[in-house]
Amino acid sequence: MPKCTIDGKQIEVAPGTNALQAALDNGIHIQHFCWHPDLPVDGNCRTCMIEVEKMPKLQIACNTVISEGMVIRTDSPKATEAQRTALEFLLINHPIDCPVCDQAGECYLQDNYMRYGLYDSKVEVEDKVRKRKVVDLGPIMLDAERCVLCSRCIRFESEVTGTNSFEFTNRGDHVSIATFENRPITHDYAGNLADVCPVGALLSHDFRFKMRVWFLKPHESVCPGCSTGCNVFVDEHDGEVQRLRPRRNPEVNKSWICDPGRALYKEIGLTSRVSGARVKSGANWEGVSVSEALDVVAQELKQSGDAVAFIASPQATNEDLFAFRAVAEASGGQLDFRVGNPQDRLRERIDDVLQRADRNPNTQGCLDLGLARDGVSAILDACRAGKVKALLLQGPELLRAGEAVDALAKVPFIAVMATHEGVELDRAHCVLPAALWAETDGTFTNHERRIQRLRAAVPAPGDALPRWELAGGVLDRLGRALPVTTAREVFLQVAQATPDYGGLDYRSIGAQGRVLSRAGSGTTAAQEARA
Amino acid sequence: MAATVVTVDRSLKPGVMPIVLGFKVTLKAWFESLFLRRASTIEYPEKKRNVSGRYRGIHVLTEREDGTPKCVACYMCATVCPAECIYIEAGERPEKTIEKYPTRFEIDLLRCVYCGFCVDACPEEAIIMSRENDLVGTTRAELVIDRDRLMARGKLVEHGPGYRPVDHDVRRPVRIAALERLKQEHGIVPGMPEGASRRPPGSP
Repeated sequence: MPKCTIDGKQIEVAPGTNALQAALDNGIHIQHFCWHPDLPVDGNCRTCMIEVEKMPKLQIACNTVISEGMVIRTDSPKATEAQRTALEFLLINHPIDCPVCDQAGECYLQDNYMRYGLYDSKVEVEDKVRKRKVVDLGPIMLDAERCVLCSRCIRFESEVTGTNSFEFTNRGDHVSIATFENRPITHDYAGNLADVCPVGALLSHDFRFKMRVWFLKPHESVCPGCSTGCNVFVDEHDGEVQRLRPRRNPEVNKSWICDPGRALYKEIGLTSRVSGARVKSGANWEGVSVSEALDVVAQELKQSGDAVAFIASPQATNEDLFAFRAVAEASGGQLDFRVGNPQDRLRERIDDVLQRADRNPNTQGCLDLGLARDGVSAILDACRAGKVKALLLQGPELLRAGEAVDALAKVPFIAVMATHEGVELDRAHCVLPAALWAETDGTFTNHERRIQRLRAAVPAPGDALPRWELAGGVLDRLGRALPVTTAREVFLQVAQATPDYGGLDYRSIGAQGRVLSRAGSGTTAAQEARA
Repeated sequence: MAATVVTVDRSLKPGVMPIVLGFKVTLKAWFESLFLRRASTIEYPEKKRNVSGRYRGIHVLTEREDGTPKCVACYMCATVCPAECIYIEAGERPEKTIEKYPTRFEIDLLRCVYCGFCVDACPEEAIIMSRENDLVGTTRAELVIDRDRLMARGKLVEHGPGYRPVDHDVRRPVRIAALERLKQEHGIVPGMPEGASRRPPGSP
């Protein structure tokens, strides 16, 4: 482990670490544009200049590997002057249209200018080189004038997606970034281009002019789009989610998320959200309070004895699943979750970057909690035979399944926890309003058995409650109340009752999640992958 | 316990005089307004008081020559507003040089504290204040004024503009001594206009 000194601070780093990474990790800021932790070093922006003792010239921090005993100064007059001059070069042809630029507020040029800027430009606005503005590349808007030519997008396209859409064109101060014949970006990772762009040259079409970023409040969470479990920030303003943004986790998603995942925030604020409970009386729906609906569900479960069945949802958190299982155990009915067999596709990739075929975030959690029990087809057969008097669904998956329609028609009482309205809800007899992933605290377990936390970012609409609270309400009425009031406490119960989760709590899961050992083997999935 | 000593001025004898002296100011004003027409009040609302050119009255959205708002919906005013009374929604303009404009721009004049921060924050001189100060409405809703009413403030002529940026030339190029010297000694003009010499400094 080489030791070095940066600005008088003794630092020990892993072998092969570059000076920029070492400084940033230790709270010393060096301005940079082209360097990105998950892209190869390019060293073209020349802004991260540092002074290294015994080296005659200034070095770029991003391409200086720390060696034993290195003494680095990032704030010496010589280094500061070089940083300032390099920044001035980047700004020569920058249009300074911050008022209309969506990047304002999270722009490297703005942030660095506050620190290293000259404040009075030597170049008049009229004399700048004009380039193309407002070029629509599908999910991305290109403004070549704002570009600082860092080539992050080019390296992203070549290293991560392999699509090579972007290239530099022209020469000298007319160099600009472009796609061939202005072709739109068609791959599933376009949103990351707007994220890697340190300035406002590449911006998201979806987020265009929607909100200034300083109004947004980020919440750490996990994408519910597939079993990969990419780490995200849910950016919210006034209880309304405005966008999803990748949160760096080198072990899971690096700094990327896919566009289908990024678009999932749109399902949160829809008017078609289920915001209140309702029960069917005859052919008509009747709106009731959640408490009344839970009374009805508990009443039906009690009357049906053990002629009841439960279908959990791999969209639910571990906390939800645990409480749901507790209801099933209290009533002694059949239990499963495998509608459409998501566990078969749990680890199957559908591309070489992030996406997996299992579009549920918590199939592994269902398996870990032992919800693969009686088999969905066995439950449906029991329904057809009239042996199921009440069916409690944690999600609408079974209502949507074509092969289940005839079986469900035989069940006299079906209750479903639903987040969105849909025609399938008409097959149920009681609808309970459930909170979505962005509205509840909880944990998901991803394909490699990494357990990760989500946090409530926005309030749930109307009367909607997290599914563990709905299940907890049923348990209360069955006289088997769980001694919990928060998701954190439910998780402690999960950890107690599930062997592999033993000893875990929200604190020890942390921001980057915890990989559990594969059932029985004692080694983690990550260790297995390495072996 | 110390006794409190109260001194009473007994030089004036009781009678009419103390009353007249006590009403001196009142009587003077009464006399002046009645006979000399020198009143310190005005007959509002028929007459209005003339206020300073920097008066912070009701806002005005300025326009471009083609009648569209000068505002580019940068949200600086909404960000700085301590009363949070400005609501903006941005939209796309066809001109690529401007790009952005407010499709909605509303000011809740009942929440506004008339601090003028919005005027200070505006990078485009798009929001200024008028000298208009009589705010009357019969409902709350009509005192939340929208973009079109902010732009069509005909009363600006009547009252005149109020608080607005003093330095109109905020993008004035800064003269730097080193550049001036380059220009004089080597014929190099910063920005390289057409026909300017491109000789590097020091070459013959």
